[in-house]
Amino acid sequence: MINCNAEFYSGTKGQLFRLTRTPENINAHIIYIAPLFEQANQTRHMLTRSAISAYSQGVETVIYDHFGTGDSEGELIDASLALWQQDIIAQISAIKTSSSKPIFISVLLSAALLINNEILVLLDGLLLIQADFNGKSFTRQFKRMSVAGNLVKAPISKSSNNKNDDKGCGDSSYVDIAGYQFTQQLFDELAKQNINKLSEYSVACTWFEWLSSGIELTPSRLKQLQAFQLILPQTEFVMVDDVKYWQATELQLAQKFLQQEPQIILQLLEKYKAGRQS
Amino acid sequence: MNTAHTIDQKNEQTTAQIITILMAIIPGYDNDFWSAETELFGAIAEFDSMAIVTLIGEIEEQFDIELDDDDISAENFATISSLAELILECD
Repeated sequence: MINCNAEFYSGTKGQLFRLTRTPENINAHIIYIAPLFEQANQTRHMLTRSAISAYSQGVETVIYDHFGTGDSEGELIDASLALWQQDIIAQISAIKTSSSKPIFISVLLSAALLINNEILVLLDGLLLIQADFNGKSFTRQFKRMSVAGNLVKAPISKSSNNKNDDKGCGDSSYVDIAGYQFTQQLFDELAKQNINKLSEYSVACTWFEWLSSGIELTPSRLKQLQAFQLILPQTEFVMVDDVKYWQATELQLAQKFLQQEPQIILQLLEKYKAGRQS
Repeated sequence: MNTAHTIDQKNEQTTAQIITILMAIIPGYDNDFWSAETELFGAIAEFDSMAIVTLIGEIEEQFDIELDDDDISAENFATISSLAELILECD
């Protein structure tokens, strides 16, 4: 039976809901950074699968909800990029005070927008899963939810197609997109995020990139991978030919990825140990 | 090869690519459900705002084009064929 503990962790501004799976003998720790907004709902089932798989390898795993999201305390409207980043830093630091085992984070999709240099320096390893560091493109897509939502709500009225709910709270300092209400400042902060904000650093890193066999990487994805390699030159890229579960309108499991991921975690552990010995 | 033939070929390729994307986003339908004539907007329950935005993102990435928000209309998303036309216009 899995030793899983549901708890509230004292975050920077409020209690964060966490699920911690603690094996008997801990080899490492992984904190799973959830992606933002709708992506969090579309991916939670896979995060859980990954965490259970890592647990079986002796890895203590933490899955939590960002402040103002899911079952954590607070409202999204009171969240900020800095707050979410501080919550990550606080959790890594807390583990460091009580454990000498390596600490990795797993960063999925838009969760990459939360990664900064302060977080990177605390890590012993980094798992990137179809990471999206392009804040401009992420926020543009997110904003389109309103446009598409209006289209679906009022298919006959063509004139209403391109309205969006931006500033839907009647105040220009707030944004209301597809039911998510948050500050314009958070939206702007996310839009400004990009790989170039990260400094060159040395930490073991694996980047899982979804790519069907016989297909080439799209220019925008290739650009992100190349830019990231300049920052973390030792990054290993692993191509995954599997379903893009975060896009599907029904729950899907990326089985090939789930088979690959444990091996990569073992490799990260080996790299960590080798680094300690040298 | 004449121009009309080339355009037809490009249209076919674009249609096939859209179908591949849609099959990943809306996996609950058999392969033979999808064709150039398949109606999307208002015809498939799963073709909601989230699916539309996901589809736009994939189209932009795979075709290396940028769609304008004005392009998000019932007309352009009516069928796979109308979407292919939109992509070819932007290309």
